[in-house]
Amino acid sequence: MKNIIIGQFIPGTSFLYKMDPRSKIIALMLLMVSTFILSSVSHILIMLGVVLVILKIGGIPVTRIARGLKPIMILLLFTFTFQIIFIKTGNLVFDTDLTLTYITLPIILLIVIFWYFTKRYTRFKFLYLLITVFGILTLLSLYNPGSIISSSHLEIYQDGLEGAFFIMIRLIIIVTLSTILTLTTKPTDLNLGLEKILKPLGIIRINAEEIAMIISIALRYIPTLLDEANKIMLAQASRGVDFSEGKFKDKIMQIISLLVPMFIISFKRSDDLANAMEARSFVPGKRRTRLHTLSWHNIDTSVIVFCVLVLASVITVRIML
Amino acid sequence: MNIIEIKDLSFSYQDEIQALSNVNLSVKKGEWISILGHNGSGKSTLSKLIIGLLKADSGKILVDGVILNEESVHDIRRKIGIVFQNPDNQFVGVTVEDDIAFGMENLCFQQSEIIEKIKEYSKKVDMSDYLKKEPHALSGGQKQRVAIAGILAMKTDIIIFDEATSMLDPKGRASIMEYIKEIKKAGVTVITITHDMKEAVLSDRIVILKEGRVIACGETNDILNDKETLNSSNLELLLPLKLQYLLDEANISNDKVKDILWQLSLNK
Amino acid sequence: MAIKFEQVNFSYPSFDGTNFSALKDINLEINEFGEFITLIGETGSGKSTLVQHMNALVRPTTGSVTIYGIKIENDTKKKGKVKLNPLRQRVGLVFQFPEYQLFEETVLKDIIFGPKNFGVSNEDAIKRAKEVIKHVGLDEEYLKRSPFNLSGGEKKRVSIAGILAMEPDILVLDEPTSGLDPKGRDDLLKLFTDIHRKLNKTVIIITHDMNTVYKYASRVLVMNDGSLVYDGKPTELFSTNNIENWNLDIPDIISITRQLEERLNIKFNSQPKTIEDLFILVKEVI
Ligand SMILES: Nc1ncnc2c1ncn2[C@@H]1O[C@H](COP(=O)(O)OP(=O)(O)OP(=O)(O)O)[C@@H](O)[C@H]1O
Ligand SMILES: Nc1ncnc2c1ncn2[C@@H]1O[C@H](COP(=O)(O)OP(=O)(O)OP(=O)(O)O)[C@@H](O)[C@H]1O
Ligand SMILES: [Mg+2]
Ligand SMILES: [Mg+2]
Repeated sequence: MKNIIIGQFIPGTSFLYKMDPRSKIIALMLLMVSTFILSSVSHILIMLGVVLVILKIGGIPVTRIARGLKPIMILLLFTFTFQIIFIKTGNLVFDTDLTLTYITLPIILLIVIFWYFTKRYTRFKFLYLLITVFGILTLLSLYNPGSIISSSHLEIYQDGLEGAFFIMIRLIIIVTLSTILTLTTKPTDLNLGLEKILKPLGIIRINAEEIAMIISIALRYIPTLLDEANKIMLAQASRGVDFSEGKFKDKIMQIISLLVPMFIISFKRSDDLANAMEARSFVPGKRRTRLHTLSWHNIDTSVIVFCVLVLASVITVRIML
Repeated sequence: MNIIEIKDLSFSYQDEIQALSNVNLSVKKGEWISILGHNGSGKSTLSKLIIGLLKADSGKILVDGVILNEESVHDIRRKIGIVFQNPDNQFVGVTVEDDIAFGMENLCFQQSEIIEKIKEYSKKVDMSDYLKKEPHALSGGQKQRVAIAGILAMKTDIIIFDEATSMLDPKGRASIMEYIKEIKKAGVTVITITHDMKEAVLSDRIVILKEGRVIACGETNDILNDKETLNSSNLELLLPLKLQYLLDEANISNDKVKDILWQLSLNK
Repeated sequence: MAIKFEQVNFSYPSFDGTNFSALKDINLEINEFGEFITLIGETGSGKSTLVQHMNALVRPTTGSVTIYGIKIENDTKKKGKVKLNPLRQRVGLVFQFPEYQLFEETVLKDIIFGPKNFGVSNEDAIKRAKEVIKHVGLDEEYLKRSPFNLSGGEKKRVSIAGILAMEPDILVLDEPTSGLDPKGRDDLLKLFTDIHRKLNKTVIIITHDMNTVYKYASRVLVMNDGSLVYDGKPTELFSTNNIENWNLDIPDIISITRQLEERLNIKFNSQPKTIEDLFILVKEVI
């Protein structure tokens, strides 16, 4: 359960930890905007390089980031496939017939069954799935004896391939950047930084403190909600629900029976929490002092200058080319 | 002078569960009163009404001479601190230290003062080693200690403890009681809700609720001896007094023993 | 032997890598029949963590817990194939916070949740619910209410009812009496004693109340800083002088007896167990 908490703060000492959360948030936004402006594969690869250097200097293990990417793997895969299949402009780079026959069908079934029963023994489940899918595709395209059940045509164009690659890298960069922020910033600091950055919104009558409070409560409650889910699971487990066993249908039922109480309990919780806050004299929008305050150092200025330079050069490149 | 004055207060949940009926109660400034009563007798409901988290169906509450209503509620809350019954639902901060700070931040304490108070009060409840911990990594009793520290640090004029020590070990419980004695001396008004007679004898007055009504209210000494009332409201006689009753029933009287037993029941 | 802990260590994983060691080298055996055990110890000493091992809700970091012949180790679940469900029916666990245990819309649904999962028919489950709700001192009216809209003590009672309805062989209760009124506490302790005596089942109770320990327990376990520091008879525990070090206390009856002896300057010839015993002793001296 706990590993779902992506990007939980881990203590450290690198420059990323010495920075003010405000400058980290601003830097993050600058870099994200830069990433969105870039439009060619080679440029975005340079950007990826920059991000990797930041990780390296910041002393953040790449494995940490990889773990953060795991939940969006499906999304990545989906966009990748989508791009490859549906974009049909540019040069044709690859072209094959996929044929399903009465001989390959059972073979594929066997492969799937084999995959299903062996997947638990490997640590690289996702890679294993990819290899399996790739294997099946190869089989479909190269081996077609016997009578044909169905057949289709797979064409991959350069634009599709590049587009797929491009979008994937972009997503990876965005997720990595935000993971860097949450990995190196304590939730309290993050909250405070957001609050300060959102302050100007006050001019258009949006209460920055309230928004920041909402965000911080959300941050405070993400682990708690996961914990809550965990507790209900434990409670149900100790009264006879077995989460590890059962068929797919049972699993769905179990998840539903988990979600309903989660909702009820969350509402109840937010009620209690609001009470607890009010009882301790919290009045939304009213002035309050803070335990944690922020201080701006030279490193913050340098990082912001660097990021502004990155953005400037990205814009220049975009306009020039 | 009465710092809290409750007149003819009634309250029902969703108009069907009558939690309190015609409650009258006054608390003097600097007094320590205990509220006792069976499960579901309305103790927690009463405390939520006093700080304006629930709205009474009828009757009124005055705190420090001011009637509790929508306008005055925020000012009144600044005078009252409450430790709720369930320590889990009152954890506002991301870490122990943030949670203790929360109330002080709302009362606009200076930053340096907040830092100092966090140190002082976390030490008082024996949680100084846990300041950076998150709430879900604490045991039941530890959560209760943090909740208590957060309220004590606010230094309000009135403090309500709703079964705040129910999950503490004997030593922790004793140290909180010692502390309550201390703040009482400093002029703070204390209301403790409890099921523990040994805690209740330390207070000046005892109020007993039963099915939403005040069935007894008086000096601790008098209530302690009121066997009928205690029995009918699911409470217990203290052991030394039980022994005294056994002796009385057997018509054995010994003034010295009687005196000792009385002293013992008052925890002296 | 129903439950056996062998060299059990348990650490809570922490995000910063510094794992918190909550149980240290626990060795413990619990019989299936006829034990009334109380588990005590200071705040944060690991009591709740220990009992969660007893029905395999958590797995030891190292060492093993054997529950009714099924060995639970750190990698047990990953290897698959171990059915934990039967264990959970045999060892019923009531959580420290009732809020963690209540999740259904009505009290009735909550109580029948366990029995139904273990194959009891709907009618039988409802019949059981009507029975246990009375055992925990609430009337049938409560079955219709939402478990979230109850007072603290009422929630506690309902959470106990939910486990009683499963009719487990071993009943493990994490601070079942905190938040209960004195009569409710005594009634429930009597109920647990009946379950223990009449049905010859084992009951394990976590408590901070030394009177409960002294009056009801046949065996007491003391936790201190993650270690099991005492396992034996309550009478012996309270005559050792480690009580202070472990943040415990002595039961009221003992302290009153001692006080009387001291103030009357006498010596009773035995340590009374109940107030009635003490009464007899006092009667003799005056
Ligand atoms: N949110 C709620 N909705 C409906 N009824 C409620 C709610 N909270 C409490 N009640 C009911 O109101 C009555 C009084 O509850 P209250 O919580 O004040 O009791 P209490 O004296 O604090 O009891 P305990 O000693 O168990 O904490 C009870 O009968 C309870 O069932
Ligand atoms: N989820 C968690 N993550 C990290 N540490 C934890 C977690 N839960 C408990 N702990 C720590 O483990 C220790 C033992 O906790 P446990 O809940 O077992 O204590 P306990 O003896 O039941 O205490 P109490 O009497 O207060 O309920 C405590 O010091 C606590 O801080
Ligand atoms: Mg209550
Ligand atoms: Mg515990």
